[in-house]
Amino acid sequence: MTPPGALDPRRWPLAVRVPLIVAMLVAGVALATGQAVLSRLARDQERHLSELASAFLDGLATAVQPAAARADIWEAFDALDRARARYGALRPMLFAVLLPDGTVLASAEPRSIPSGTRLAAALAAQADAAAAAGRPVLDADAATAVLARDLAEGDVPLGRIVAQADIGPLLAERRAVVRTLVLANGAFALVFAAAGVLLVRHLLAPADLVRRRLTEAARSGRPVPVDETVGIGPEHAALLAAWNRAAAASAEREAMAARLAKEERHAQVGRLAAAMAHEVNNPLGGLITAVDTLSDHGDDPAVRAEALGLLRRGLGDIRNVVRAGLVTWRGAPGTAALAAQDFEDLRLLIRHEVARRGLSLDWQNELPGKVAVDRTLARQVALNLLLNAAAASPPQGTLRFRASELDGGGAVVEVTDAGPGLPSAVEALLDARDGPPPEDGGLGLWTAVRLARSLGGRIARLPSDTGTRLVAELPAAPAPMEAVHAL
Amino acid sequence: MGHGRFLGRRTLVAAAIAMPRLGRAALPVRFGLTPVFLDSDLALLRDLGRHLETALGSPVQLVKRRTYQEIVAMLLAGQLDAAWICGFPYVRHADRLSLLAVPLHRGRPLYQSYLISDASLGASTIDDLRGLSHAFSDPDSNSGFLVTRWLLAARHERPEGFFNRPFFAYGHRNVLRAVGAGLAESGSVDGYVWETVADREPALTSGTRVIGRSDWHGFPPICCLSENRDGPAAQGLATAFIEMAESASGRRILKTLQLGGFIPGEPSLYDGIARMAATVESPT
Repeated sequence: MTPPGALDPRRWPLAVRVPLIVAMLVAGVALATGQAVLSRLARDQERHLSELASAFLDGLATAVQPAAARADIWEAFDALDRARARYGALRPMLFAVLLPDGTVLASAEPRSIPSGTRLAAALAAQADAAAAAGRPVLDADAATAVLARDLAEGDVPLGRIVAQADIGPLLAERRAVVRTLVLANGAFALVFAAAGVLLVRHLLAPADLVRRRLTEAARSGRPVPVDETVGIGPEHAALLAAWNRAAAASAEREAMAARLAKEERHAQVGRLAAAMAHEVNNPLGGLITAVDTLSDHGDDPAVRAEALGLLRRGLGDIRNVVRAGLVTWRGAPGTAALAAQDFEDLRLLIRHEVARRGLSLDWQNELPGKVAVDRTLARQVALNLLLNAAAASPPQGTLRFRASELDGGGAVVEVTDAGPGLPSAVEALLDARDGPPPEDGGLGLWTAVRLARSLGGRIARLPSDTGTRLVAELPAAPAPMEAVHAL
Repeated sequence: MGHGRFLGRRTLVAAAIAMPRLGRAALPVRFGLTPVFLDSDLALLRDLGRHLETALGSPVQLVKRRTYQEIVAMLLAGQLDAAWICGFPYVRHADRLSLLAVPLHRGRPLYQSYLISDASLGASTIDDLRGLSHAFSDPDSNSGFLVTRWLLAARHERPEGFFNRPFFAYGHRNVLRAVGAGLAESGSVDGYVWETVADREPALTSGTRVIGRSDWHGFPPICCLSENRDGPAAQGLATAFIEMAESASGRRILKTLQLGGFIPGEPSLYDGIARMAATVESPT
């Protein structure tokens, strides 16, 4: 099906429009010159015909005038009959001598125009016009020319010579010229159009190269430099040079951003380590005090209960801190392949959260052996999806987790909640390529999407009867896994 | 009568009278021609002129005119030593003209007039030609005018009333052209000319059809003024024609003309023409 607007010439590519314009210009010039040639040819032919007709009528008038004066049928016929053989170049079809009253004295073809009859009205009218104009009257449809010459002796009219000549060969010559012009000019137009196609393509090649690079850059986010030597003229050189400068600036900016991200990560690690140490250290004093209290006053049930409560809360805080660190820093990214056990850890990690929210967990970990996917990032993706699902599900709801191997290598993580569904703004994060993290919810999904994308995968929402069903496809890394610093 | 002895005597006479003419070589023998025969064949005229010059031993000037009338007038005026004319003017001026020689056609000094029509017409008699256009040869021609006029006179008709636009083509060959081309739907023509043309140029007669043949009449004769009958030029010409078959050049000419030769002829050969002329020219 033709796309809307595709027929609009203004939407056609230059590589088509310019050759078409060239061809139309050539055709226009050819038409104008062809008209001039044909007009000149027609004038020349008519002039030659007029001269020939004049010579013919001069000779014939001399021969038939005495016969016309005497109304001598035989003499008039004899003169016409002999003239027919002598003026073959004029190709006379018929000619006759008329008396002043318009009747035929004699014709060269007595069987078709007998003596004593009158010429057909159309022929007589053409003869009147030819005699008045003093030159042949052409009838292109009938391919004939009518010649006429009045005969007179002083003021006394003697009659008229009327001849009809076959101008078929002249018209055929014109048609042949038209045919030649059409063929030649058509061929020229095609040649120029083809040359225009090649030339325009050649001229547009550098611009087309930049256009392709722009398209690729829009898709990959990385502008690729071009070969500046393919440019034609200073305009293209400037265009390609500008593109290469832009590509270089983009690459430099990207490298700088990566460097900054790495440094920021290191800084975050330091801050997190310090925070974790601080968080762990904070309850330690109280815990030690509680242990001492138990040691000294463990017999007192009230004191024991209070100390145990303190211990439980303190250890709980430490557990939370360690759990968070475990999730984030268990092993360096890219250092190990993903295994089923890595997801089993997640089951332990979220068990408290699931229980706290009164949810039930449907857990299917079918990941076989190890797959070549960054275990840390994969776990982070899965943990984010699980925590989001837990947060979205109402009490008594069921949280479903399923891990399996991706066709072609890799892992598939499918998490289904019992919530009301994704808000449209949050769902838009699934397809958003870049952009800052959302300010009003959806941070976990934003993180998971970017992590999945950094692994070469994606997260998509699949139809579900209840809640939201999100699937993360995490393909296997093609080469030895490299450290990916997505965050 | 011994034909060879007669010719021999003529030859001797011609040779005798040629001598004085040679003495005044500045005066050629003037011989008039009319379209009674194929005068359009220029090669034939050249051969005839050469033959006569050889036979007479003096220059011969062949004089041609468009009409019989012009040649007859010149002959009567003494501007020609002799002329080949038609039987009709001969009988008209029989009191002043003498026969020098008469051609033999198919062994006889006779010929017919043919009434012809356009071959595409269904005419078979002269009555079928009523209202059609007609080409005559010459008003002084027996076969090309007088015979047809006589036929019409027998019907109390005149050509102008019987035919539609009758005209004279001034030559039997022209009559054939006129009828063949359709200029005329019918015509009156010399039977000898029609037969000869049919043999030499069949395309010219193929468009015509003979619908009537007249009685036999005296063949167009070679005549001179009676007062010059015994003159050397007239005698020389008479001898040259009568002895034509005796020379190779003469036989070539006769073959071209499809004639057997010439004889002195008798005025009675033209009695039939005289009767027709008297009929048509008598007041009715």
